[in-house]
Amino acid sequence: MAGWLREKGLRAVLAVLAGLIGPVSPARAEEPPPEEPPPLIKNPQLLEFVQAPYPPEAQAAGLEGKVILELEIDVTGAVVSAKVSGPAGHGFDEAALAAAQQFVFAPAEDATGPVPVIIEFEYGFTLTAQPGAGEGAGGGEGAAEVAEAPVNLEGVLLEMGTRRLLEGITVRIEPAGSAPGSDGLDAVTDGEGRYAFRGVPSGEWTVRVRHPGFLEMTGAITIIEGQVTEAKLWLKNQAYGEAGVVGAYQREKVEVTQRTISMAEVRRIPGTFGDPIRVIQNLPGAARAPFGTGLLIIRGSNPEDSGVYVDGIRIPLIYHLGGYESVINPDLVEGVDYLPGGFGVQYGRSMGGAVDVTTKREFGERPHLTWSTDILDSGGMFTASLGKQGQHGVGIAARRSYIDLIIPAFTRNSGFVAKPRWYDYQLKYIYQGDAPYEFSAMVFGFEDVLIASTPDGFAQGTDQDTQGDLGTRYSTHRLVINYERPLTQTLSLRAIPSFGNDYGEFTLGDSWTATNSQNTFEVRLELPWEPSEHFRLVPGVDFLGGWAKFSVELPFNPELFAETDPFAEREPYGVSDTQPGWGPDTYLFAQIRPLADPDQLLITPGVRIGYVTVTEELSQTAIDPRMTVRWAIQDKSRLKGSVGLYSQPPQPFQAYRDDGEPVKLTPQYSLSSTIGFEQDVGQGFHGDIEFFYKHMYDLIVNNPELESLNDQFFVNEGVGRAYGMEVMLRQDPVGPGFGWISYTLSRSERRDHPGEDFYLFDYDQTHILTGVGGWRLPGDFEISAKAQYVTGNPTSTYASGVYDIDLDSYSAFSTSAYNGERLPPYWSVSARFDKLFTFKTWQLDLYLDLLNAIHGINPEFVIYNYDYTESDYVRGLPIIPSPGFEIKADF
Amino acid sequence: MHLLSAFLWLGSLGGCNRIEVAESWQIDRMRVLAVAAEPAEPQPGETVTFRSLIVSPDKPVDCSIWLACDTDGGYGCGLSGAAGATGSGTGDTGAAGASFVGIDPLTPLVWTVPEEFLAEQTEAERLEGRSALVTVLSVAECDGLLEGDIAEAEALLEGSPDEVEIAYKRLPVSLAPTPNHNPEVIGVRVDGVEVAPGVRVELEAAATYRVEPVLAEGAVETYAYRTEAGEDEQRVEEPYFLWYAQEGSYDQTGTLYPQTEVEYTTPAEPASPEQSIWVVVRDRRGGMGWLEVPIRFR
Repeated sequence: MAGWLREKGLRAVLAVLAGLIGPVSPARAEEPPPEEPPPLIKNPQLLEFVQAPYPPEAQAAGLEGKVILELEIDVTGAVVSAKVSGPAGHGFDEAALAAAQQFVFAPAEDATGPVPVIIEFEYGFTLTAQPGAGEGAGGGEGAAEVAEAPVNLEGVLLEMGTRRLLEGITVRIEPAGSAPGSDGLDAVTDGEGRYAFRGVPSGEWTVRVRHPGFLEMTGAITIIEGQVTEAKLWLKNQAYGEAGVVGAYQREKVEVTQRTISMAEVRRIPGTFGDPIRVIQNLPGAARAPFGTGLLIIRGSNPEDSGVYVDGIRIPLIYHLGGYESVINPDLVEGVDYLPGGFGVQYGRSMGGAVDVTTKREFGERPHLTWSTDILDSGGMFTASLGKQGQHGVGIAARRSYIDLIIPAFTRNSGFVAKPRWYDYQLKYIYQGDAPYEFSAMVFGFEDVLIASTPDGFAQGTDQDTQGDLGTRYSTHRLVINYERPLTQTLSLRAIPSFGNDYGEFTLGDSWTATNSQNTFEVRLELPWEPSEHFRLVPGVDFLGGWAKFSVELPFNPELFAETDPFAEREPYGVSDTQPGWGPDTYLFAQIRPLADPDQLLITPGVRIGYVTVTEELSQTAIDPRMTVRWAIQDKSRLKGSVGLYSQPPQPFQAYRDDGEPVKLTPQYSLSSTIGFEQDVGQGFHGDIEFFYKHMYDLIVNNPELESLNDQFFVNEGVGRAYGMEVMLRQDPVGPGFGWISYTLSRSERRDHPGEDFYLFDYDQTHILTGVGGWRLPGDFEISAKAQYVTGNPTSTYASGVYDIDLDSYSAFSTSAYNGERLPPYWSVSARFDKLFTFKTWQLDLYLDLLNAIHGINPEFVIYNYDYTESDYVRGLPIIPSPGFEIKADF
Repeated sequence: MHLLSAFLWLGSLGGCNRIEVAESWQIDRMRVLAVAAEPAEPQPGETVTFRSLIVSPDKPVDCSIWLACDTDGGYGCGLSGAAGATGSGTGDTGAAGASFVGIDPLTPLVWTVPEEFLAEQTEAERLEGRSALVTVLSVAECDGLLEGDIAEAEALLEGSPDEVEIAYKRLPVSLAPTPNHNPEVIGVRVDGVEVAPGVRVELEAAATYRVEPVLAEGAVETYAYRTEAGEDEQRVEEPYFLWYAQEGSYDQTGTLYPQTEVEYTTPAEPASPEQSIWVVVRDRRGGMGWLEVPIRFR
């Protein structure tokens, strides 16, 4: 790409060519250049052009010239050295050199951030055209008669599809019919994308714009004597979605294991439906969830042991029914932090991992609409910035499923029909003004409903009390406010109050009902104090309070606890209770950067002190010390490690006891440690290996001595251990392709009661190998694929049993220890095809997500026949072609 | 709750493959389908007579061994130590708490409930009652057993499960004022036409018929129940029906009273022209009844 103008023999007139030139070599003078410089994801962009005076000697002689310069640009964008590599003589070299040394650039960036580069730069001098660019860039001293001519061609340059104003791009006009690269005039767009030409002779002209990252644009313009011609020009990006690819994740990487994937990758991963939150299921440490349900099974922990946060506030669920869609509109998501372990004290009340979803902190200047439709649901988001200078950003999003209307069409002849439906909504306000604080408020929520029914006349089993529709419904609603402001130069405040309700309901026919409603008030307060770049201290409070009301009604005979008696008469039985609970967890952590280069070593010690009243009778305190270390042992090599204690209080239902006696339960604990190594290989390749070990104790398990409702249901007798290795090799989306390979080798075991044997955790998967890759093709086509191999889940086996005549059921004999066998391995390949259509103000992405393109056996469960003499596998999802489209429009 | 919902939904989507295992209504091997005691709910000291519905697709069942015991649960009565190996049950129990009821067809299947069976219960508990267990070992080949060789029975239990079907049933024993009775199926209706017991029904191959049981009058009983709060209630039984066939299929495994009808689809190419279907009724209180319906495929 570099120097294409030279190759074409064009005579650039004071052309700004920064965007046309690539890196020649790294600028670290003291280091030999590496064999292959890393690819840039962003070329340096000229921000401040300095006009060189036309050499009087050359002007007098009517000479024109073109000087080739070598400019070294540092990470701040400043020109730190310049030399002439292609002299033109006649005073041109000195003039160009002096001017170029005052240029200011936006620095080049590779996948790691800003990098120094050396570029070639053509500095041209001509007597025939207005030098320098558009109106905003100022005119030159040379060719004064042209500079003083009125502007008779002007306009604005925009990016197609997004209407983004393009700055610093050269617009060239050439006489119509002339060969490309022949004599012409150039202008550079200013900060508002405007360009202007003075004194353009009347006639037919060809306008041509070429810039890295964009497709060449040409068009015809007619200049009429005495008239000003306006032309709005559109430039098509070669790679939509990659702008700001790395910046999509704002948080500083301070956690030991914080894996981030760019939004550009997210959109192209098969099976994710473009949902960034689903991507974590393809990262190391995350076990494969049955049927792709999206259960967060992280490093051998139970799904309920991992915390899910939205803007720092915990919510109970992150996925809708089935796990195919997250509960937050993907277009509102700015970033997702996946923290499988070793995370800091900001996160608590979880023994497993954490997923923190950050919503957008800024909306664009222009009104923006997105709309997506697939086989499951449809939804959209609209954002706008209102008020003077757009200081009031508003975004509204909503989504509704219709899978409940589709499923019955495919299950017409079966007795059992499940009809799930869901919706979610988000409304966010962001203050985008100049006041020295940040403020946002967001209301969001979702509801999922599943009705499973059998047709009239069909018995749903033989129990008279389990007839009728089976239904579940759960919902979450939250108001979250985020307020941040500096208090002094070194002290700032961050406050996130939230209030909401979580509701869950289960019904079976008319006789079974279980409901749980929790009103939750949560406040997170932090006072970061950063006296220097080497030290940061963050005290914080994470208060969680509220009250939970649950009720259960069912036909029941309490004697069933003592003896399984199918003849026992049932009576309506109900339990309801309202339990307040609250807990002001406090935490304190420091970020210590002891070395001269603050980025070289980061030590983060911290402690979290949790106090929680689970019920009025049960209060607990837990002290969780944690520490993480990140050490850049070389420029591109980092060691990392962590050790910490993670506690998790009992759930309110676990602390219930019918007779009102105090429940003796303590928090569950996990002592977690990790050690790992990261290496940037170059060319956008990264490697990451990490080892982990978790010792879990005081796990809450069923009380083996439970004999009646008056006994305590649960006890802290369980222990567990999980250990393994995670590897990730990754290619950033710096070119047309991207991809990664993740591999997890692990083992997770449990023991419920003392004296018993350890058994494999239900979702223990020894090997999890995932490969994801995508490639952009010409014509705005994209193809991507995902392949996954996973060891089969543990299972228990049974053989023919004894027939209970009264219950009409067979009691099977175990032929293995609990989870003593394994299902066959899981193997799947999915693919996705995209075609992007770009129009001036909107874009249309048509895609086909082909899930499970290779439909292997992929057993999820073993199912036995009525007497356990035969068995078969309940297999994973079949081949599912999922077409869809997404529209993005700017107004 | 979320997990349950997800699995229910995804399971309904297919679990996504056709499950290739035998259905419970298929009589493709020897099965114990029902056991009934007479009286259905005896009092202590009362003698009980047992009968059974044991079916096999190809040949008559050779014999069955019957045990009774006083136990709180488990999977039936232990054979070892059973008393009265070849005699009729007297209520005596062996070391394992089991008493030998008999071997069908060698001995009558009778058992006398021990007098002290409810001795440790309170008055209220005696009204409600408690259950004894009856175990049935259905044996395909039992030459030695018919000669009274208990060691042969033990050897059979350790052999191939195909040769022995083990089933157990609870026998409610109480002083209830309204003791339970077995429900009686006195016929079926096929497409609305009533068929008397023992009458062979002619059916077309590869055809679907509506079949429903005909219960004897009074089969659905009203009984007294004292609630946990000590209030007396009159409750009505809610029986349910299970259907079986040698070939063909039902649209559902079981039906609930009063919607008792099933759809039976006959096989396209029956293996034999004369077969049977069965219906078994349970009253949820320990009472059972059944009917075998002989059929001929046209």
